[in-house]
Amino acid sequence: MSAESLETTLREAFPDATELAVVDRTGGGDHFQVILATPRFDGVPLVEQHRAVNDALADYFNDGTIHELRIRTKGTR
Amino acid sequence: MSDALRDRIKDVIDNEPVALFMKGTPQMVMCGNSARALEALRSVGAPVSAVNILPDPDIRQELSAVSGWPTIPQVFVRGELVGGADICEELLASGELGATLRTKLGDEGLTGEERVVDVLAPAAS
Repeated sequence: MSAESLETTLREAFPDATELAVVDRTGGGDHFQVILATPRFDGVPLVEQHRAVNDALADYFNDGTIHELRIRTKGTR
Repeated sequence: MSDALRDRIKDVIDNEPVALFMKGTPQMVMCGNSARALEALRSVGAPVSAVNILPDPDIRQELSAVSGWPTIPQVFVRGELVGGADICEELLASGELGATLRTKLGDEGLTGEERVVDVLAPAAS
């Protein structure tokens, strides 16, 4: 799995993102860092922000593609 | 078995002040992310009831079914999902982790006591 594929999936799930990056932390295609800012997250608890990212990537968790996902999210205010 | 295990996991989430589902135990942590969550909890003096998810893959499967959260570790305070390692570290840095724990457990609740809960064994009554 490439970081670009994850980024494409997240771009579709969060078309209003003002900041979006996916980094393959180990080069192995299974440990990723997601950075995402979207106005949708303004005033939303962190746990729900991360849940939205996890849900968008649910297929990759279910098929075992993602072994580890680090997430850094924020609103835009 | 699966239903009993799920009930046991729910029981831990609902009844332990702070439940940490992790890889390994506080004495022998088997994953860097579990270590990050544990260290964040330790640094605010949280009591930690740790559940090792490694002995049986069903534990993780049932836990994720209950919480709707795909990754390990998972931290719950008074039955409510706080999040994983990234959230614990972020809330620690902002001061919210300690504040939330003090609000929910009281100063006297921040005992720093650590115990391991075996969800595969029947609950002690």
